[in-house]
Amino acid sequence: MKSLLTKLTIPICTAAVLALASGCASSGIRNPSGVPVTHMNADEQGFVASTGVESQDLVMVTDKMARSILGIPQVANAPTPPTIVLDPVDNQTRFPINKEIFLTRIRAQLNIKASGKLIFLARAQMDTLEKERNRKREGQVTASSDPTVQEFKGADYFLTGTLQGMSTRTKAGTSDYILYNFHLIDARTSAIVWEDMAEIKKQGLEDAAYR
Amino acid sequence: MKSLWQPTLLAVCLTFAGCATTKQPTVALTGDIMVDAPNAIANGPPRDRVLWEYRLALAAMRQGKFDVAKQNLDDALLTLGGIYGKDADAKKARSYFHAEARKTFIGEPYERSMAYIYRGIIYWMDGEPDNARACFRSAEFEDSDAEQHQYAGDWVLPEYLDGLITKKLGGDGSDAFKRAQADSRGVRLPPYNLKANVIFFIEFGPGPTKFATGQYKEELRFSTTPSPVTSAELKVGSLQIPIAPTDDVDFQANTRGGRVMDHILGKKAVFKSATDTAGNVALIGGLTTAAVSNNRTAQEVGLGIALAGLISKVVSAATIPAADTRSWESLPRYLSFASIPLALGQHVVTVQFLDASGRVAANLTKTITLNITTTDRDKVVFVSDTSITPQTL
Repeated sequence: MKSLLTKLTIPICTAAVLALASGCASSGIRNPSGVPVTHMNADEQGFVASTGVESQDLVMVTDKMARSILGIPQVANAPTPPTIVLDPVDNQTRFPINKEIFLTRIRAQLNIKASGKLIFLARAQMDTLEKERNRKREGQVTASSDPTVQEFKGADYFLTGTLQGMSTRTKAGTSDYILYNFHLIDARTSAIVWEDMAEIKKQGLEDAAYR
Repeated sequence: MKSLWQPTLLAVCLTFAGCATTKQPTVALTGDIMVDAPNAIANGPPRDRVLWEYRLALAAMRQGKFDVAKQNLDDALLTLGGIYGKDADAKKARSYFHAEARKTFIGEPYERSMAYIYRGIIYWMDGEPDNARACFRSAEFEDSDAEQHQYAGDWVLPEYLDGLITKKLGGDGSDAFKRAQADSRGVRLPPYNLKANVIFFIEFGPGPTKFATGQYKEELRFSTTPSPVTSAELKVGSLQIPIAPTDDVDFQANTRGGRVMDHILGKKAVFKSATDTAGNVALIGGLTTAAVSNNRTAQEVGLGIALAGLISKVVSAATIPAADTRSWESLPRYLSFASIPLALGQHVVTVQFLDASGRVAANLTKTITLNITTTDRDKVVFVSDTSITPQTL
């Protein structure tokens, strides 16, 4: 009797351990205590990712565009720095995004790397600028030059862009392709004097529990 | 015998101790969504966060608190958009011994689509029609994996509005219009009116909720209370516009078809049933053998079989095939839309909701005072049969 019970003890305990291991997936949890704040570079893919527009895409695309703009004759050979106004990007993808961020980074990159070769006009601040000019004209504040002279510059070029996407969703997962297109338009002739693009395709598949 | 039951008890305890999870936070509900939802988001289980954000956002929209709605929808859609890859809770939800409701809630496709539609409305309100269009496209996208192809991406309003915005932004929206018309199941959609600067989103009726059926509640189903309201009417000055539903959320919920998770839950149910049956057979057979036999060895073998049966019963009892019935139950049944041109200035708009026989449900009538101050952007108005009234926008 005793020897049989001894024999039974081992399979019973084994069964219990197996049940424990198979039934309780808690042993498989990654990072059960969370992940502390991690400093990432903007151009690297972190451990949080989606198939949409992310910081590494922004950095890659805007770096490429800034380099490309600097090489065109209208900028490289201009006798005086051309003036540029940023026109909002047209988002035609399925991802709602902050559209300003692309042009903001391109402008910043150009101003950092080619300061003086291009002049960007602060059209977004026109209301504030006009109020200040009017105060100067009315003598409410001091002016370092004649405030009655029109000194607000007109644009030589408009820099704008379009984001277009193609998305597919099947049992195999989600696929998102985004074409980032930017172009520089001559304000006088409407000619597109420069254009460049970048393409990014991402695919992912969610856990079966969500499918 | 004593030494046989000790390891058995140990095994059972080990099994349950191993499965024990840390106590999930619970929140006391007051019945006021504007109190309960923030409380649940802050203190409740993280897996339910998105559900409460959905609920809070919609309740806020119906109270004209669009900033609250925006903040919550943005957070919910971040989770929804980043759900790819490994997920520990989702893995547990697939395991035999955890419920599907263990996973982080992002909703079924019709719920995800509605979240994008509401966010799109707010983007349009904020003067960002292209981001609104992006949301409407994502709404269609969430619905694009239906089991039967004819029901994939068949929301009418997002498609129609995609075309309208494209046209307003200088593009050609005719393809989207054609797709919307093809999906509209008999409703004749109005041609795009580019002069219309006031856009009305109108929703009414109680939407679908979830319930589980099957032997172990492993089959997810949807139910919708018949709507007392089946259409609406919009009045501005002498203008009177009938509003028919363009989308039926109940239809969208029921036409998605089978999920991958349904297959997993089916396997769980079979496992639960099989282990239960095997346990019964082993228990009865083993105990009977032990009881009727005069041979000591046979008695011991019988007890061993009964013990194995008991373990099988425990495993069966621990198997949870129940479907996840957490539901965004405040969704409407019907969505509709109207667009009209209105001059700068103040306009009083009345929206009446009608039953199937065309009678006005007087207690649901909404009055909205519109102040149109610019022609630079569309005035976007969201009206639900459960919205507060009057509103000034």
